[in-house]
Amino acid sequence: MKLLPELALAAVLAVAPFVLPHLGGSYDLMERVLDWGLLGLGFDLLFGWTGLLSFGQAAFYGAGGFVAAWLLVNNIIGSVWIALFAGTVAAGVFGLLVGYLAVRRIGIYFAMITLAFGQMAYFLENSPLSDYTGGENGLPGVPVPSIGFGASAFPIATGLPMYWLLAAFFLAGFILARRIAHSPFGVVLRAIKENTARAAMIGHSVPRYKLAAFVIAALYAGLAGGLLGVFQSYMPPDAFALDTSGQLVVQTVIGGVGTLIGPTVGAAVWLWLRDNLQALPDVGALWKLILGVVFILLVTFLRRGICGEIRYRAMRGRHAAAEAAAQADGASRPATQLREVRALAMPLTAPMIQAQPGLPALRAIDLSRHYGGIRAVDEVSFEVPRNSIHAVIGPNGAGKSTLFKMLLDEVTPTAGEVRLFGQRITGLGATRTSQLGIGKSNQLNQLFLELTVRENLRIAALARRRGSFRVDILRAADSIAEVERQIEAAMTTVELAARAETPVHVLAYGEKRRLEIGIALATGPNVLLLDEPLAGMSPAERISTRALIREIGRSRTLLIVEHDMDAIFELAERITVLYDGRWLAEGTPEEIQRNQAVQDAYLGGLHEHEPA
Amino acid sequence: MPSLPLLLSQAFNGLALGSLLALVSSGLTIILGTLGVLNFAHGALFMLGAYAAYATLQVTDSFLLALLAGGGFMLLVGVLMERILVRLFYHRPPEDQILVTFGAGIVLVEAVRAVFGGNNQRVPVPGWGEGVTQLGFLIYPTYRLELIGIIALTLGVLWLVLYRTSIGLVVRAGIEDAGMVGILGINVRRTFLLVFALGVVAAGFAGMLYAPIVSVNPDMGGSFMVESFVVIVIGGLGSFPGAVAGGLIAGEIISITSAFDSAYSEVMLYAVMALLLVVRPQGLFGTEGRV
Amino acid sequence: MHEPRAPIARRRMLQAGIGLAGGLALPRGLARPGFGLAEAMAQDLPAKLGTYPDGASGPSVFVGITTPLTGPYSADGKDAQLGYELAIAEINAGSAAVAKWGLSGKGVLGKEIKYAVADSETKPNVAVQAQTQFIQRNKAIMITGSVSSATAIALEELAQREKVLNMVGLSGSNDTTGKNCQRYGFRSQPSAYMACKALGPVVAKGLGHGRKAAYLVPDYSYGHSVFDSFVDAVKQYGWTTATQQVVPLGTSDFSSALLNIANSGADVFVNIAFGADSVASTKQADQFGVLKKMKLVVPNISSFQAKEVGAALMQGAYGTFDFWWTMQDQYPLAKDFVESFVAKHNYHPRWGAHIGYMQTLLWAASVERAKSFHPIAVIKTLEASKADPYTTSLGKVWYRAEDHQLVRPVPVVIGKAPGTMRNQDDFFDVLDVVPGEPLLPPIELTGCHMGTYS
Repeated sequence: MKLLPELALAAVLAVAPFVLPHLGGSYDLMERVLDWGLLGLGFDLLFGWTGLLSFGQAAFYGAGGFVAAWLLVNNIIGSVWIALFAGTVAAGVFGLLVGYLAVRRIGIYFAMITLAFGQMAYFLENSPLSDYTGGENGLPGVPVPSIGFGASAFPIATGLPMYWLLAAFFLAGFILARRIAHSPFGVVLRAIKENTARAAMIGHSVPRYKLAAFVIAALYAGLAGGLLGVFQSYMPPDAFALDTSGQLVVQTVIGGVGTLIGPTVGAAVWLWLRDNLQALPDVGALWKLILGVVFILLVTFLRRGICGEIRYRAMRGRHAAAEAAAQADGASRPATQLREVRALAMPLTAPMIQAQPGLPALRAIDLSRHYGGIRAVDEVSFEVPRNSIHAVIGPNGAGKSTLFKMLLDEVTPTAGEVRLFGQRITGLGATRTSQLGIGKSNQLNQLFLELTVRENLRIAALARRRGSFRVDILRAADSIAEVERQIEAAMTTVELAARAETPVHVLAYGEKRRLEIGIALATGPNVLLLDEPLAGMSPAERISTRALIREIGRSRTLLIVEHDMDAIFELAERITVLYDGRWLAEGTPEEIQRNQAVQDAYLGGLHEHEPA
Repeated sequence: MPSLPLLLSQAFNGLALGSLLALVSSGLTIILGTLGVLNFAHGALFMLGAYAAYATLQVTDSFLLALLAGGGFMLLVGVLMERILVRLFYHRPPEDQILVTFGAGIVLVEAVRAVFGGNNQRVPVPGWGEGVTQLGFLIYPTYRLELIGIIALTLGVLWLVLYRTSIGLVVRAGIEDAGMVGILGINVRRTFLLVFALGVVAAGFAGMLYAPIVSVNPDMGGSFMVESFVVIVIGGLGSFPGAVAGGLIAGEIISITSAFDSAYSEVMLYAVMALLLVVRPQGLFGTEGRV
Repeated sequence: MHEPRAPIARRRMLQAGIGLAGGLALPRGLARPGFGLAEAMAQDLPAKLGTYPDGASGPSVFVGITTPLTGPYSADGKDAQLGYELAIAEINAGSAAVAKWGLSGKGVLGKEIKYAVADSETKPNVAVQAQTQFIQRNKAIMITGSVSSATAIALEELAQREKVLNMVGLSGSNDTTGKNCQRYGFRSQPSAYMACKALGPVVAKGLGHGRKAAYLVPDYSYGHSVFDSFVDAVKQYGWTTATQQVVPLGTSDFSSALLNIANSGADVFVNIAFGADSVASTKQADQFGVLKKMKLVVPNISSFQAKEVGAALMQGAYGTFDFWWTMQDQYPLAKDFVESFVAKHNYHPRWGAHIGYMQTLLWAASVERAKSFHPIAVIKTLEASKADPYTTSLGKVWYRAEDHQLVRPVPVVIGKAPGTMRNQDDFFDVLDVVPGEPLLPPIELTGCHMGTYS
């Protein structure tokens, strides 16, 4: 049931204020947990979904809170709702500025930069801007919001009414976060976390998605900050402190990263433990030491966190069931029907470049790539006509992979250019070229290992259908019919329909290889580069993959790098031979087979250039 | 507009400040560059070094002995930390390493507070560092002058180890490509252990040297850690010369800004970092595309 | 600025107010607050207010204490905690010492004081959170504790909102009884204004007129507040400001500021930094030769500063704080306090412990005078204390009704030479104990606008 989490949450929130006070909770504690939870929703989208660990969320929490509080305390804005909105927007703008600088880097660097900006915000709050922020005293006297207008308006008193306010905001925030997470936008975020490079290669504009996620997290933080000032009538300076960012991270890890509800659970656990540990005799100040040790143990041994662990076990069961169902379904379809489906539904997207019919699909002009003194590729030129199958061969070290990377503009050539349907694509970057219709299947699998086969293919299928960047956070990820059809087609084509719901890291090597091809196929490329598609396959697998390649070649232009000569000579219409980075020969398979220079190159001739 | 003598004094002071930052940051950057671990416990280790010096000085009067004993203690801490904790995380995502070292930092701070209490402890300036020295128009504490010398020496030794010994070669190769180094048959594990311990000792040593200047309390390491992050962002991740240059530059920024308006000295540092991120994101000595 | 949060039906406070004013107008003997005050007001007090009567209906009452046990002020926080605990233990036992403060029998009005101590981590928000719990869950009838004016101000705000009495802990900023004053907050530590005004004449006498002073000012409102008050206090003696070095929060290396100070040509160094910062900056000032050239003045000496910096550096330094244990020679109730504390904890209590002890006892004494736990009754008793001051470890003290600042003597001390210390805590000689009333700022200048009673 798709709305189960939202309804469950609503039920818990409705019941909590009547149950928890008897268990030692209080309205204030619940409000604080919900506030941390709201802050955590945005953070989880950033860390759990996009994989960006930010140690500076306090900057936006504080910014939103202080802007809202300042507007209210100085009577610039009378309505608390408008002030909250202003604070949220301010936090978002601040997030845009910081994010622009921070998301250019990943991993450790990103964490450090966000931490540094968080600290800078803290310094600004305490000193230069202290006239506005009250410095280390904060801003007391923040009013509570009222519902209604004019004379009939009634303020939301502290206690139970304030709890309902926080609960309402949190529920709304949760519903929105879930929609974001399960939207196509959210799918791309996960792809970025799982395999950033591949997501970019497929055609998603990774920097823009990261920035968008960062801004979303900042917006959530700003709202949470504003609410903090409102429900306790006081905006504290330590909202900006490093400790706040750190506590958010700790709570999220405890509750479970990537679960959306994890930060809330973590906050409840942390706050409850903190209060009750201190109450134990002789513990007193040692509570932080104890919790620190608990945290280390958790990170080391229970990395998924509380909710994450629960979900993992639940999913394992579900995956097994779904897998069994998919297998049964796949096994029941006769082989002929499979072939028909493949033929009918080969994924292809209309070319973005409308070029004259005579132009070749792909043209390399004097491509060179030098690394210092080494010439990996040296002035290679060739043409690939439309809908043909072209192969590039050569001994190891000939520069084939480098050449391929330049064709996609994954690597920028030192000299020369590449034209796709007559348009120059050199310098555009792999993301853009992928959007223009050229795709690649890699020599070493570049998959999204933690996701299922279907999810992997969806990431690819969404790329050209949606463009390189779109903030479609409100629709469901599987709601685009065209995309779903594309996924089915790709899955059937590479014969992985039976494994649709299987996490990819479970697949056998051959299946992973097929998925690698499937992902490239699912982007609907007009020109497809296959980098050693048969590498590591068994003889039986080679036969079926060769048939697959032939099928694929019927509807688009193919460029293959391979060492399996039988496959090359069977499939290719034209072959280009590279040796030592340079163009050696080109022709039909028969011509190449007879070419003396090619034989020498493979068997060790051309002594003066022989590598040691 | 401050006077020229004042500006010069501050510039000179920035050297002293900067050399300490350089030492703290070089430990951090070596660990980061080689092991890929961002040690969030670095500030706590700085503090631990200061306490090691303090504890030793309770039983002896010799500052030199305190440095030696403290150094040995930090070496032990580094080895234990790597063997027990960090080692488990080499194959885990970098975020996990950040989290576990963050937790370790909290534990170290609270453990010290439990043992020594929250009071500020006093580490006296060693006998050979007392008093002031006249440098032209500038009167400067002798100990700080000597610090510049000691730190320069330490950094020089570090440089020698990294660039002139075979172990150092392995470390620098490891920074480039740890996997490759392992395939070549070199015991990467042992190198990692050595590097981590070295980084920890550098942090602790900086704490020991600084203890006579500041007040020694469990929370003293926090601001140094954040500043060293800024330094290695400016200098370039994993770059030893970057840490040194970045540290000196940071020290100068703080000092010279305070000649004009001391309230903005910290903010100026962050502003420079932000500017660098726009203009040259890999840092002064960092390589493009490293992270 | 303190507009009512929720439109509670207004009670007839006017009559109660008239009754109180009438009571004060009578000659001293007849106007003794407490006796009859509760009865006189009984019909006019709201029946339910804050945690009253729920928090006072059983055999015990709850006091919520927050104090930093971790973070930069943890040493002061621990000291304060011990002071609170001593006071509560003695009150519950009905000791002879507390009887001298005006209490009778065991507990307060026969009820045992239960309490809990929460770690505020030196963060205002954490303190607010903990005390809100104490109020909502434990029905705390009084909340107390803070080491930092930011926390104190935040808790005062909370107290006013929740209508629970807040006996402010450690807080030296003028704002606590100034622009952030609250009807439900009472502060015993001398404000920065009072401290500097007491200090001014003493340093003028000891160091001379027309001095040039260099100031080290931490960049937050407390720091600026002390700076302003001190400059104001020494202006009449012809003192000038040679330089004002403002250092940002979190600075641990003051070398840049100290270089400027060393080159400023000043002959007095006024160090306004607090806590660990004061220790570091004083040490560094010594290393930069500043202390050789200039005399040291510390307007508000941190609790453990002398121990942490060392007597050698504090020798000859002038300063003030809330309390020093050698005042036991002058005040018998202080002697009781110091002796009990030393017996229990093996060191002489610092002023944080004293504030904790004193505020708790002042509250208890007020409750017993009012013969009620009702917050308004207790507040009015405290506000009426001028007519009948409390007998305390600082002699006779009373709360000024207009801003809730305790009117009490301010000790001015000077650091002793290490050789003359009689025990390991004997760091200071008390030069003068300046009576409090003349030190008070005029009410118009405080910026205090009290909130409502309910």
